[in-house]
Parts: sequence; C-alpha cells; structure tokens
Amino acid sequence: MEKIIIIKYGELTTKKDNINYFIRILNDNVKKALSLFNVSIVYDKGRMFIESNDGNFDQIVSKLTKVFGIHEIMVGYKLNNRNIDIIGNNVVDLLKNISFDTFKVITKRSDKTYELDSMEVSRKIGGYILKNIKDVKVDVHQPEQEIYIEIRKNDVYIYFEKIKGIGGYPVGTLGKGLLMLSGGIDSPVAGYLAMKRGIKIETLYFESPPHTSLNAKNKVLELANILSRYGGSIKVHVINFTNIQEEIYKNIPHEYLITIMRRMMYRISTKIAHRINAHVLINGESVGQVASQTLTSMEVINEVTTIPVIRPVACFDKLEIIDVAKKIDTYETSILPYEDCCTIFVPDHPVINPQLEKCVEYEKLIDYESLINEAVKNHEVIKIGEGNKYQDLL
Amino acid sequence: MIYLDYSATTPVSFEVLDTFNRTTKDFIGNPNSLHKLGVKSLDLITSATKQIADICNVMPREIIYTYSATEANNLALIGVMLANHHQGKHLITSKLEHPSIYKICDYLTSIGFEVSYVDNDQDGLIDFDHLKKLVRDDTVLVSICSVNSETGVRQPLKMIRQIIKKENNNTLLHSDFTQAIGKVPVNFNDVDLASLSGHKFFCPKGIGMLYRNDKVKIKPLIYGSGKTNELHPGTPSVALIASFAKALRIALTDIEKRERFVTRLNEKLVKEFSIHKDIQINQTKYSIPHILNISLNNIKPETFIHALEEKDIYVGTNTACASGDLSTSVMAIYNDKKRATSTIRISISHLTTSDEINQFINVFNVVYQDLNNLTTKEG
Repeated sequence: MEKIIIIKYGELTTKKDNINYFIRILNDNVKKALSLFNVSIVYDKGRMFIESNDGNFDQIVSKLTKVFGIHEIMVGYKLNNRNIDIIGNNVVDLLKNISFDTFKVITKRSDKTYELDSMEVSRKIGGYILKNIKDVKVDVHQPEQEIYIEIRKNDVYIYFEKIKGIGGYPVGTLGKGLLMLSGGIDSPVAGYLAMKRGIKIETLYFESPPHTSLNAKNKVLELANILSRYGGSIKVHVINFTNIQEEIYKNIPHEYLITIMRRMMYRISTKIAHRINAHVLINGESVGQVASQTLTSMEVINEVTTIPVIRPVACFDKLEIIDVAKKIDTYETSILPYEDCCTIFVPDHPVINPQLEKCVEYEKLIDYESLINEAVKNHEVIKIGEGNKYQDLL
Repeated sequence: MIYLDYSATTPVSFEVLDTFNRTTKDFIGNPNSLHKLGVKSLDLITSATKQIADICNVMPREIIYTYSATEANNLALIGVMLANHHQGKHLITSKLEHPSIYKICDYLTSIGFEVSYVDNDQDGLIDFDHLKKLVRDDTVLVSICSVNSETGVRQPLKMIRQIIKKENNNTLLHSDFTQAIGKVPVNFNDVDLASLSGHKFFCPKGIGMLYRNDKVKIKPLIYGSGKTNELHPGTPSVALIASFAKALRIALTDIEKRERFVTRLNEKLVKEFSIHKDIQINQTKYSIPHILNISLNNIKPETFIHALEEKDIYVGTNTACASGDLSTSVMAIYNDKKRATSTIRISISHLTTSDEINQFINVFNVVYQDLNNLTTKEG
C-alpha cells in the first residue's frame, strides 16, 4: 500500500476542446509548486496523482491548496489488490490511527465490471470495521469519520478526507497581465484575483528614493513573493519615480498632483506592458475609495491608455478586500507602516472631479515624455519566487 | 573517534558553519536599525523565518526564536498558563518528558498551578483512557513530547489531540519536538505549540524555537524592545537564525530514506545486544530507530561509558540533561529500578556508518566481557 495524493480538477472539465492544454499547464504549475519536494506526478483527464519520497504530505498538500485549477485534494492510499478482504484489512489498519465514534463508508466504482457494486462494497467494508474496531457505530447522516473507497481498473484508492482546493484556472492559461503593485492592501488582492482567472502576472512598482525607503521596496517584493506562492515566479519591474514626482510637485497646481501622477503611472505601465507582451493592466482601484478613484477621476486617468484595465476589486467594500488579503496572507505585510510614493506628496484638497482639459493643460508645464522614457529605460527588474534570494546562505 | 551520542547533541555541519561564518561577517547591522545595513539584516531574518515557516507548514509570525528548547518549553508552559489562568490552573504532562518539563512543572506548582501526570502502557504509549479522565474543564494545557529522549518512544500526537479536544475544546497541546525533528516526519498542525532545538540537527548551539499557533495566547517571560520578536526581545542573532533555517531545511530532506538507513543500523545493534543475556533492550514497537537504550544491569553505566571513552567511542547515559540519575522513562515503562539505573543510550544518525557500528560492536563486546567478569567476581 502506497500513500498518495489525488487531485480533482476544478472548472477545467468544462473546457471541452482545450482540456488537455489546461491540464498540461496545471501539471507544470503543480511541478513548480512542489519543486522543493522529491515527488512523481502522473495525470489523466480526470485526476492527477502525486507520490512522495520524503513523506512530507502535509507540506505538499499545503502547497497544493495554493495552486489554481485544483478543485479537491485527497491524501489517500493506493492498493494494488482489489480483493475485498484485503481492502477491508487495510482500511481497518489505517483507521487504527484515527479516533472516532461514528462512521460511514462511501464507495465509488469507476470500473463497473468489478464483482461487487458500490453499495455492496460499502456494506462489506463497514462490516469489517464494526467487527475489528471497538465502540464504533455507523451513522449515514452525520458521521464523524467518512471513509472513501474508489475502485478503479487496476487498483483501489482509500482516503478519509477531502480537502478543498482553491479553484479557478491554472495560472498562465489565459495569458499575461501587468499588475500595478503599490504596497497597500488592495493591489495584492487584485493580483491574486487576476491569477485566479488564469492570468500570469508581472508587477510594476514605483519607488521615490529618498522619499521612500528600502523597507518600502522590500515590503513590495515581499508582497510579490507571497503572490508567487499562487502562481510561480513573478517579475517585479521597479520604476524610479523620483524625478517625475518632484517635477509634478514643483510645477503642477497641488489639487491636481494625484491625478497627474496617476496619469504618469498609467503611461509608464502601458509602455512596460507593451514591452513584456502583457495584454491588460491590473490594479487595486476600488470605486470611491480615494479622490483618484471616483468615476470621473478614473475616466480622466484612464484616458492616457488604450490597453484594457482590469480592476478586480473595483466593486468590493474595503472590508471585503481585507478579508481576502487576510486569507491570502498579504494583509500583515500590507499594513507595515512604510511610506510609498502615493502617500508622500499628498495635497490637502485633491480634486474629486478632475477635468481632462485642465490635465492636458497642466501637463504642458513639464517635459514628461523624456522623463517617462528615461524612467522606463533605466527600470530595474527583480525576479521573485524562484527559490530564496538568500539561497546560498539558507 | 566514533560518536554515538547524537541525541545529546550533534556536530555542526560544514554547510551550516559556512552560513554562520559568512552571515557573521557580512550582516553586521542590527535588524532593528533603520539604515541599509539594518534593513539587510532584518531582510535575512525575515527570509530565514519564512523558509522555516514554509517547510514546517506554519505562518512566519508563529515562529519564536529562543536560546534553547528548554527555554521554548519554559515559554510554552509558563507563558500559556499565565496568559490563560482565568480559564483554569490545570496542566497535564506525561512521565516520559525531558527533565526541563518537570522542573517547569515544579515551579508552576509552587505558584499555585496544578499538574497531573498521565500514565503510559508497557510500550511507552500514553494511556488514552487515563488521559481522557484527566482532562477537565479547567485544563489549560497538555504537554507531551513527540519522541522520548531516553527510549525513543514516539507518541501519536494527532490522536492525542483528538482525544483532548473531544473532552475540552479549549485545552491546548504542546509538544517537545526536540528528539523528533530531522529524524522522523512531524506535523506542526497536530499541535498548538512545539519546541525545537537547533543543536540536535547539526546547527550551532544557542538557538531553539517555539512554534505557537496564532490563536494561542501567551505571556512573555522577558520584556524589552525590538520589532523582530516580541516574545523574545533583544537584538536577535542573524547568524544563528540563518544557520537554524539552513540546518532545518537540510534535516528535513530525504528524511524517510535516512530513517530506513538508521533502521538497518539499529537492527544490527539490537541483534548483537540480544546475545548477552544480562542486557535488556529498552526499545518498544513505538521507538524510533535513532535512539537505542539498553540496561547493563551488572555494570554501572558511568564505568561503562568511561571504558568506551578510553577507546575513543562516545555514547550517553539516559539523557545528557539528567546524567547520573535514574532513567525516569525506563522506570515509567518497565517499573524496574535496577533496569532503570543501569541504562546507556546509543544514539545514531544518518552520518553513522556501518563500519562505525561494526567497530563499536567489537569494542563493546570486549569491554562488556571485561567489566561483567569483574562485577560477577566481585559479586
């Protein structure tokens, strides 16, 4: 009997024609997620099977619960013998390590030629358990312990628990997007939600040293690192925004600081997106949250780009966003109190309903084209999630 | 030299020492400093902690570095009992714990807490029925080690926790993982708190760790400042933390393969010791193969250890932390005083070679014959 992990695919099964493509990418993603472990993976159209040589199944399951495209994970045992007495003995042996009072046996028989039907198998195995384990009862409605038996063509799978997978599509199946990652609570959540729908992300971060610190940058890299647990390695494009920001601050009426700054950020993001073949921009804007996120602001800011902008949390309440951030473990990092470039030059009264004509007029006051080109040209790329950055030390 | 006392401590591995040296040299900043050097040190600590969290399947904020496993045990038991005293003042532990647990329990008793000791069966396994009876409404914590340091008996923690939680859902389970980690797979999610010691898995001495589930309330035992570790304040040692992370990663790789290898060595030793009719082997079906405890009966263990030492072979008495006393664990399992006062412990690791075991057996047989003849004559 071998211990084994069984994976059921999620929504993929609805992708009739492309299913092989989806499963192949899922297989690649699972391989990457488990690169630290000594495992062998095989798959067919309905299931994926993972065997481990290290025995660290809990860690493996924990990694798998972060891989999009997985619906359910079962840790079970593979038996190469389909004899009912042998199945019974093995089930009883396995149950000796679990404490329970009531149970139910659920059998699935994918091989219909097997000599017993599902009900008969469940009854026989139930009988074995009652005979060999003392003080336990059958309860088909609310059993404390469920016992699953799957009879397949050549072997039998036994498992006691189904762990919910994260769902979604395998990351990468839908192409690439560029996430504007600020270090706040919203943008990592936006990135996570985009990845959930199969988008491979690269991220863009604006730094303004010495106004922003190395701690602030490390915080963003850490957020990218947390996101990379869900979708493999992530590239972080770091733009030095100091010159542009200082120019804006010196020359533009202060109520328009944020609007113009955001327009510059969108322009830069679009250029980077084109360079890396990203089809969409993704960001954490949420309608009404701050002055730059009113509908009129969004319209005026969005005007500088033609690339589609996906705003996954646009219609989430702040508390809903926080819930997701906590669930995906970015919250604690997001709330670390380091200044980012959106918080350093904040006017007392930013405009809530900016006018496009005024933006265009004000922007003539600075030579933004050359500043943007310079920032894009000199930007730094950091690859996150391909092992630890201190790999040689740790 | 033949070293067979790996359960007392291990030599620092070359790779880990390299990390220790390079980190000491290159990361001079105080992790609490604001400047680049400080940020660099903090960043390495954060990465190390994250790596540990990752391989242990816990969250980084659930990891607290300590000086030793003994300190981690103190923080777990005293910290939890003090923080949750409104819930009750009752603590349960077993008769198979590391001596530090008993010292802590004595202290807790002296300040008004109540400690119960759960029985075990002939195989060293916790008596589940007794445990069930001991858990009360005011039981705050149960502390049961994962692997006993003297006999290697391993407890089924998952099941123990199920039993405890069924009786009282608020009761927490702490486990000393010191003798288990790196030898057999452990699951941090089976417990609420766990203690670890670096020097048992080829890391330098001076660093231990407490895993504490995020939901567990705990009162600090020392106070100070520092953002890296509020339950263990003070400037942390970047070099030790990095070494600990690396040593742990290495220790958890290929664990099953190493265990199979150690099992073969253990079987060889058991076979050899069984030839001597006066030697009792204190190993049950739940013992891990890395620890082999035997009772010499007619020979004083100290004499025997020094005799082996003359041949450059090093084994232990019961545990290094309680040398000279009666082996409480052997007593708890076999209830035989002679057996419990004449134990030696041979502890092996994946670094032990078959050749070393063969040489050891040869020397052992000679020394045993000599000393046994002497005592029988005297007797």
